[in-house]
Amino acid sequence: MVKAKKVEVASSNVGAYQQAKMSLKPRIREFRFSLYLMSKSLLAMIGLVIVLVLVFIAIFAPVLAPGPPGWIEKNPMQIPKDFESPKPPGSPWGAYMQGEGTFTFGSGSLGLDIYYGCVWGARTSIYTAVYVVIVAIIIGIVIGAIAGYFGGIIDEIMMRITDVFLSIPGLILAMAVAAVLGRSLDNIMLALIIVWWPPYARIMRGQVLTIKEGTYVEAAKAVGSKKMRVLFRHIVPNTLSPIIVNATMDLGVVVLVAAGLAFIGFGPPTGYAEWGRMVADGQTYFLSEVEYPAGSGIFYNPWWIWAFPGMFIFLFVMGFNLLGDGLRDILDPRLRR
Amino acid sequence: MKMRTFIIRRLLLLIPVLIGVSIFVFMLTRIAGNPAAAYITERMTPAQIAEIEARYHLNEPLVVQYIYWLQGILQGDWGYSKVAKLPVTDAIVEFFPATFELTMVSILIAVIVGIALGTISAVRRDTPTDHATRVLALAGVCLPVFILALILQYVFASQLGWFPVIGRYDDNLYNDVSFQDYRITGFLLVDTILHVDWLRFKDAVWHLILPAICLAFGSIAIITRIMRGSMLEVVNQDYIKTARSKGLPEKVVVKKHARRNALIPTVTVVGLAFGALLGGAVLTETIFAWPGMGQWAASATVYNDWASILGFTLITALVYVLVNLIVDVMYAYLDPRVRLE
Repeated sequence: MVKAKKVEVASSNVGAYQQAKMSLKPRIREFRFSLYLMSKSLLAMIGLVIVLVLVFIAIFAPVLAPGPPGWIEKNPMQIPKDFESPKPPGSPWGAYMQGEGTFTFGSGSLGLDIYYGCVWGARTSIYTAVYVVIVAIIIGIVIGAIAGYFGGIIDEIMMRITDVFLSIPGLILAMAVAAVLGRSLDNIMLALIIVWWPPYARIMRGQVLTIKEGTYVEAAKAVGSKKMRVLFRHIVPNTLSPIIVNATMDLGVVVLVAAGLAFIGFGPPTGYAEWGRMVADGQTYFLSEVEYPAGSGIFYNPWWIWAFPGMFIFLFVMGFNLLGDGLRDILDPRLRR
Repeated sequence: MKMRTFIIRRLLLLIPVLIGVSIFVFMLTRIAGNPAAAYITERMTPAQIAEIEARYHLNEPLVVQYIYWLQGILQGDWGYSKVAKLPVTDAIVEFFPATFELTMVSILIAVIVGIALGTISAVRRDTPTDHATRVLALAGVCLPVFILALILQYVFASQLGWFPVIGRYDDNLYNDVSFQDYRITGFLLVDTILHVDWLRFKDAVWHLILPAICLAFGSIAIITRIMRGSMLEVVNQDYIKTARSKGLPEKVVVKKHARRNALIPTVTVVGLAFGALLGGAVLTETIFAWPGMGQWAASATVYNDWASILGFTLITALVYVLVNLIVDVMYAYLDPRVRLE
């Protein structure tokens, strides 16, 4: 019977198209329903808007913050600076910047342009978050799925390994790994991946354990599918909702922890467009006063150095958190209708 | 299952985890670079270097090296901390009380405030109080510890001058007696009470408030969220309706019937929150110049002081695992169903 169906499909492309359309239809309907549910949740929409704005900022960074002429062609992730002492928001660039412009968010240590750093820092953050979460999910899914599906000694060994990683508080584990590997953004990401995969392995294992007894899994086995095919073709795709919800929230939390690590002194040095590092630079000026314009006798506390990048971190984490919360309500079948 | 069997089982399960943690930390020490590098100078011949490596068992296979290393750890040889200029174990004894004091006060604040806010929020569901609490909880999750610390320092210490900006005690109060001589347990709050020293006790509390609030903030958010959720679930149960229909006052229903049961799931997150607290302590201590393990570890990372970093990792893992064990036991005590698994 299976054979007959194959022949039929092969004989007519129209048939295949129709079939694909038919099988897609319920998915599209569900997707549209999800969008509808989401549009009804105010907080989720706020989260979505924040996330979209940040993605927009990251994509259009060259337009939003071009820096001095010719700057972004050289090394865009380095923040331009005028080597003068910090200036409040709205003051003009110093002579060293070789261009006309203002420090929209003020300038920091060495005269770093805070606005430029905030805008381009969105790229650093999104890149870090997406990279860490995706790699962690892939590792977690593979290990969790295998442990849950095969059970027995494999399960036992794999779960004890995740226990080990879960028994060290996340930030401290990341710190130890990053310290040993050396200070750079890549090493922070590697350290964060090591911290982030075990929870995914746990979630995945739990999901597989509940789903593997399902009738459709038995059906797949009955027609003679290989174990790996059953696992990654029939079980794994049906376990992804909680993973997606967690991943969305984690995109924010990764940036939170990465910024914390950068704040202590891991990660790229001062001058790189990274929010955590920028806040740390602000701390060095924390209780001091700067005079602007020079010789005028007007003093400011340079709060802008840490407040603007801090606000970006906060918004980033909050956006993904709200979106994740909203997605949980939408994707949870028990709450869905 | 009896309570004792449960505890013994949980203790036995800890052994593989701790062995795993030690293997992981050992691997990090080997990745960090040649452990004998400190003893090797440029003028040494290869034979001399080989001799040193043999003395520290570095020419043996990794498994053998691990066993020697573990032996050292178990005997209290954790290496030498360059930053503290002390053996690592002594440094831990030196710094641990400050961190422990800070985290304990924080967790206390977090539990009290979190449970109170969660209860109020659930009881007054969908009122402005509820919304305000949820916004606060959201902020607690999203606001990085180090930014909150800066805001607190800026507003309450620098601008309003209500609290000291940094430090654990006022140096001026220790002019006549050095802090080292004053120290009995290392827990400043306890020490000042033992000395019956009201002035210094007040000073210690004063210095503790801002860092403790800062550190507690994230945990308050976690506990409030869970507490609110579990209260909402409990409130719909039949026994609550029964209690109400008996004509019990609302206060009694909430406090005696609902909250007690809602506390059970909350207990589990306290263990989780404690992990976040230990991590957050590194940042909080760095910003508030709090002389604890977190600040020690953070400065160790600046000077590539592996022994300190790995000692710190090992000891926090140990504390974290033990706290979670205690939490699990409490959970099993509160909810006997857990023990039956």
